[in-house]
Amino acid sequence: MLAYDPASNPLNNNEWSFPLLEILHIAGFTLSIGTIAVVDLRLLGLGLLRHSAKELLRATAPWTLVGLVVMLTTGPAIFSSDPVMYLRNFSFKFKMVALLAAILYNYTIHRKVALAEGPSGGAAVLVGAVSLALWISVVFGGLFIAFV
Amino acid sequence: MSLAEVMHSIQSVGFLTDLRESALVYPVVMSTHLSCIAVFGGMILMTDMRLLGLALKKYTVSEVVSALRPWKRVGGTIMITMGLLLGSSEADKYYINPFFWWKLTLLTLIGVHALIFRPLVYNHPEKIDESPQIPARAKWAAILSLVLWFGVLTMGRLIGYYEPKS
Repeated sequence: MLAYDPASNPLNNNEWSFPLLEILHIAGFTLSIGTIAVVDLRLLGLGLLRHSAKELLRATAPWTLVGLVVMLTTGPAIFSSDPVMYLRNFSFKFKMVALLAAILYNYTIHRKVALAEGPSGGAAVLVGAVSLALWISVVFGGLFIAFV
Repeated sequence: MSLAEVMHSIQSVGFLTDLRESALVYPVVMSTHLSCIAVFGGMILMTDMRLLGLALKKYTVSEVVSALRPWKRVGGTIMITMGLLLGSSEADKYYINPFFWWKLTLLTLIGVHALIFRPLVYNHPEKIDESPQIPARAKWAAILSLVLWFGVLTMGRLIGYYEPKS
């Protein structure tokens, strides 16, 4: 296997690049999670009730994707600064599992229910609540990398 | 009593000491702060992008502003509470941190932004719905809001990187 020396990574040789990437990472997930949360609130029956979840999803989906792209570009770059540390970090592993689950969920169940005409109350509430819980657990997992 | 002593006595309050020293509660409070940024900060972004005519165009400005406002308030309240807990539990470190003061300055400017643009834009979104084009004052409100909040996010993150020269 090729040896990778993190010391050769520009991220570790410039005091500003790492925090800048983190700031963009946070801005990226703020955009994606914030737009998903708008749909979730609608599914929960808590806001924007004058329009269907379907319309809201259609209106927010492009922005969710922009946020995800920023997040999934900056994230691996941050990871590259110290891969061995991240791979050994329990919170990082938790975050990756939660992230994978959240993305899959978002583009399957969440999308299907939001696009369904007049999703039934109970199911929609459950789907919205699980979505919020998944994304918040990704944020928690990410922050805990620095603590656990 | 010097400022340093005041700061030290703030962070010495019992529950704040417990918070700072807890291996679990401290990161949980911080994660909650960050989760609020994700969920509710995203709503600020969406409101601003609607004012710029970039997103949610099927909805009127009134609809976006009035539907998201109560949630931004709930989120803002949790976020500020968590932020106050974090800052006051480490008051010794924060008051000498220039990024913390930048963040407070920007938050103050966001207050000024609200004072200026609430009467001009946010309190009368139906006027924007009625006009054929989004008025310049609404676009300025959105651009300034985006810049200020991105600044707050930036300064907030940089607080953690500051090392005082010893």
